[in-house]
Amino acid sequence: MQIATTVIQEARARDTLGILAEMTDGETDAAVSADSAAGALAYLTEMSPDLRGGAILDSEGAVLAASGRPERWREDAAALLAAADGAGDEPVEQLHVATEQGEVFATRHGGLTALAVTDRFALASLLLFDMRAILHDLARGAPNAT
Amino acid sequence: MPPKPHRVLLDRVSAYADEAAAYVRRRRVARKPFARLYYPEGRAADHAADSRAGAELFVAAGRLIEVAGKRPKP
Repeated sequence: MQIATTVIQEARARDTLGILAEMTDGETDAAVSADSAAGALAYLTEMSPDLRGGAILDSEGAVLAASGRPERWREDAAALLAAADGAGDEPVEQLHVATEQGEVFATRHGGLTALAVTDRFALASLLLFDMRAILHDLARGAPNAT
Repeated sequence: MPPKPHRVLLDRVSAYADEAAAYVRRRRVARKPFARLYYPEGRAADHAADSRAGAELFVAAGRLIEVAGKRPKP
């Protein structure tokens, strides 16, 4: 038993270092490909029946994937995120704007930003959970969860 | 003749469902536009449409809604 305990502790120390080395510290190291982002956006569209459109942006604000016109998504998303960041004293992590015409959601993780536009009265918590999940997968380079 | 026990239960469940449906209808009619921002430590902030930040958020969100267009039909 004494030997087994020592081995387990050595393994724990070694594996903990491995786990910490794999963890991201807010910014994703690997460049996310447009194909991966398009797959993630397609997955989000499939999961969210209220979704009208969406986009995934990289840390520079460039569009990795979008439903529709990428240039318009880039410009209008930048304006929305700038307005959101300017409203407080720190960058926002998520936002939810509900209007009479529809609802807009955005969330950030690992240097990536996901945006979604839905019909009114979409299930906000579920949609934001799905958006965070696809960003987590993209940030750690996981294949699409499809 | 008294109603069968299962009828009483069904009527009660139906009454609760009707109440819930009416509540959701009232909530939808009464709900006003809002802009809510969430920060990393869990804090959230609402911005009224007549505030400067709120107005900017609603304008920018309106443009994104326009870009997204209508939901594609299945």
